[in-house]
Amino acid sequence: MASSLTRNCSRFSKAISVRFMSNLPENTVYGGPKPQNPNQRVTLTHLRQKHRKGEPITVVTAYDYPSAVHLDTAGIDVCLVGDSASMVVHGHDTTLPISLDEMLVHCRAVARGAKRPLLVGDLPFGTYESSSSQAVDTAVRVLKEGGMDAIKLEGGSASRITAAKAIVEAGIAVIGHVGLTPQAISVLGGFRPQGRNIASAVKVVETAMALQEAGCFSVVLECVPPPVAAAATSALKIPTIGIGAGPFCSGQVLVYHDLLGMMQHPHHAKVTPKFCKQYANVGEVINKALMEYKEEVSKKVFPGPSHSPYKITASELDGFLTELQKLGFDKAASAAASAAENMEPSE
Amino acid sequence: MAASLVRSCCSRASRAITTVRFMSNVPEDTVYGGPKPQNSNQRVTLTQLRQKHRKGEPITMVTAYDYPSAVHIDTAGIDVCLVGDSAAMVVHGYDTTLPISLEEMLVHCRAVARGAKRPLLVGDLPFGTYESSTNQAVDTAVRVLKEGGMDAIKLEGGSPSRITAAKSIVEAGIAVMGHVGLTPQAISVLGGFRPQGKNIASAVKVVETAMALQEAGCFSVVLECVPPPVAAAATSALNIPTIGIGAGPFCSGQVLVYHDLLGMMQHPHHAKVTPKFCKQYAQVGEVINKALLEYKEEVSKHLFPGPSHSPYKISSSDLDGFLSELQKLGLDKAASDAAASAEKMDHSDSPSSQ
Repeated sequence: MASSLTRNCSRFSKAISVRFMSNLPENTVYGGPKPQNPNQRVTLTHLRQKHRKGEPITVVTAYDYPSAVHLDTAGIDVCLVGDSASMVVHGHDTTLPISLDEMLVHCRAVARGAKRPLLVGDLPFGTYESSSSQAVDTAVRVLKEGGMDAIKLEGGSASRITAAKAIVEAGIAVIGHVGLTPQAISVLGGFRPQGRNIASAVKVVETAMALQEAGCFSVVLECVPPPVAAAATSALKIPTIGIGAGPFCSGQVLVYHDLLGMMQHPHHAKVTPKFCKQYANVGEVINKALMEYKEEVSKKVFPGPSHSPYKITASELDGFLTELQKLGFDKAASAAASAAENMEPSE
Repeated sequence: MAASLVRSCCSRASRAITTVRFMSNVPEDTVYGGPKPQNSNQRVTLTQLRQKHRKGEPITMVTAYDYPSAVHIDTAGIDVCLVGDSAAMVVHGYDTTLPISLEEMLVHCRAVARGAKRPLLVGDLPFGTYESSTNQAVDTAVRVLKEGGMDAIKLEGGSPSRITAAKSIVEAGIAVMGHVGLTPQAISVLGGFRPQGKNIASAVKVVETAMALQEAGCFSVVLECVPPPVAAAATSALNIPTIGIGAGPFCSGQVLVYHDLLGMMQHPHHAKVTPKFCKQYAQVGEVINKALLEYKEEVSKHLFPGPSHSPYKISSSDLDGFLSELQKLGLDKAASDAAASAEKMDHSDSPSSQ
């Protein structure tokens, strides 16, 4: 029976044949059969394999549906819903103001768009630092309500290590983050590179190892000198993801807007980080397009006939003109009549 | 004393504070937060839109949903920035505009307000936040201005209750933009995203509801997806400007969705759902795809980051100390890898390798 069903060409009946396969319980998919998705979600296993083979892992941030789709289409391994949203999406000067509810909205939008990359959500400032239970609660929400696969948290103090461990024990995969940790600019005194003296460099390596010990599956190294990143990468069994940390990490991450050159305004060009390569100048493209739209509208060039697709039949139009006149709108009626004539030649 | 204070001090702050404060037409306490730098690009107001309309100059409007898009719209000199509930579709990936909540819209509004200092800011009232009573409508509109930082609101529809709601919002001191024709929040009764005004009754209704909204105090009306002659009739019958989308060239102005006009989504599936009345002024999606593929390739081939994108240094003495500490901790391999990497970075910095 199964084979005759499979020979039948509709996708739906192929799904039925799936249900009759012995290794898949009938009730596997409560929502009904889903179309076969050839692009499976990237998992920790895939990342482990890449790391083992020495293949660099690619990570990019995303904050909404379109950017998530773009990352998926480009085949990026990991999609990070970063609290950098606070700066690049919301326009704040730091990552501190964004709330958990706002992060969850970003996470959900990204989850809707990116079906293949591993989805990691940042725990925002103020949602995980005061106790381990607060940290676990926040991490749970990011997966449960945000639709993420894993979380990232910053820092390497003893309480952070404890929090990371508690989150892992709650069954949630954790990426650590050491070096420059933007949520800590208050104590760091700004966005300052770390690991530039002996004590700081050793601390980077030690905290990375402690995070590995706590169960993290990866650690982000931000803004440290390349040799320090190389040491940490070498000392760890888990992959390191670098940003402004040189070429010796197991993978790289960049902020979407920075790598795309999304902001072309001179003021913003100044704040693009120097470790970030701009792979495009989307901001210039956008500016040019908007200026052209503005010009075409101002010169009454847009919309032309090809962008004015909706028609009214001649008989309906006549009836309409009559009604307008009955209502005393003679001027409107003649405007409508000449508009119709105006549109005629293009058809 | 004022004159010597002005001449003496060269810091911008004191010049700004002392000269402004001693001018007789500006009370000392005008700006509680302290003097702001002079902004030569003043905010677009209803008065300016009225002037454009009077002179027959088309009004330009584009949607924005976050800080960067708001900055772009400001930089391009667009007149009106609409924080549309189209965010539900283009930002959040839903199939309709219905799911977005007021809280989410307010987040979008605030982000846009931070970025766009010159365009007039209009915020959409999302589905479900203004239809059940006039009170609800006024409360929502107030939040969009108070918490969202917008200058005006837009609401959809022309039923009597909507007209009444619009009137109450105007009476609450909030400028209202109407919206007739295809009203996306009503796709349930419309049976989908279907153009309106294609038969006599529907066409007359477009004109009549637009006029009723004007009567209620609206400063403008959006006409969406109606045949050009119908839009022309409404534009002619009204004293206030009409802003068209998929309504032909006879409106007082035009509006398009940011993502659509920029071709933000290049995925084939999305190309199918770009509205046919929308001209794509760029193919940003293609540009983004190309950039991401290049990044992926460069990372995979260990080309990025190169020396020019690895700017942070550690002095050689600190490096030596670091290597010693690593060895003390028993991390010999890490120490030698660090040493090797430092040499590699030195090599690539040297003139011979460039």
